[in-house]
Amino acid sequence: MPATILIADDSRTVRDMVRATLEADHHTVVEAADGREALAAAETQPADLVITDVNMPVMDGLALVRALRASPPYRFTPILVLTTEHGEDVKQQGRAAGASGWLVKPFDPECLRQAVRRVLTRVRA
Amino acid sequence: MSARRRALATTGTGTTREVTIHIGGVHASREPVVVRTLLGSCISVCLWDPDRLVGGMNHFLLPSGEGGDPGRFGVHAMDRLIGAMMKLGADRRRVVAKVFGGAHVLDMVESDLGVPQRNIAFIREFLDNDGIPLVAEDVGGYQPRDVRFETGNGRVRMRRVGAARAQARLVRTERQATAAAPAFGTVELWN
Repeated sequence: MPATILIADDSRTVRDMVRATLEADHHTVVEAADGREALAAAETQPADLVITDVNMPVMDGLALVRALRASPPYRFTPILVLTTEHGEDVKQQGRAAGASGWLVKPFDPECLRQAVRRVLTRVRA
Repeated sequence: MSARRRALATTGTGTTREVTIHIGGVHASREPVVVRTLLGSCISVCLWDPDRLVGGMNHFLLPSGEGGDPGRFGVHAMDRLIGAMMKLGADRRRVVAKVFGGAHVLDMVESDLGVPQRNIAFIREFLDNDGIPLVAEDVGGYQPRDVRFETGNGRVRMRRVGAARAQARLVRTERQATAAAPAFGTVELWN
């Protein structure tokens, strides 16, 4: 079932790749170039799922996850982190912040689509 | 990381470490180091934040793809490099780029469909798309390049390598890298 998905990544090229992957499953994609933009977008256009990078200017991805979890409408919204970061420490920080999953770039488009389907199915169950 | 480190000659201001990267390699530093690589059809991008004096270089084989070390592909190599620099305090809105490589070293005539030209087109488009100014480039042609990037001041010293032995070694390395096994990032779902 199509969803509205907010993606936060400071690289337009990466956002284009993620957008193309998600639109193949007919999702509506909202883009943000950093955490603060993503927070603003999340307020104006409610998202069913958030996918965020970690290293971004202005507000990084982990701060975004914490801010979203502190916001009642996003308390239970799935948030996936999509990043080149693969260290256990940062991964655990993401989990503690409230992320629902951690995907390490480069992503296999099919794996990303499957992960999205799984988290959306869980939240809709 | 595929970085191989070794001591470098003493400079006027002290000893500057040299770090050599190969295909798929990324190295960023906020300490002044010299990042060095040897390029054939591959591309290296040197990014520098002149405010924080943070610099870094990558070395990628192809614009994009689905195999081997992710750093071998331009989009991921750029993502890794920018991410590594940001962790060191750089701001992607300030960084400038210098681009090298994309030579036709595989005994083929220069063509828009060849790997070197596709690499060059990719990186120009990526930098434009991501708003990173391209301040210098030396790309194309038929000779490999030996590139040394000084992260402390953003300066690049580049020389073309003509020796047949160096070219043969590069061709072998790039062919082996092209044939490497697939490897995507991992996926973990928690709740």
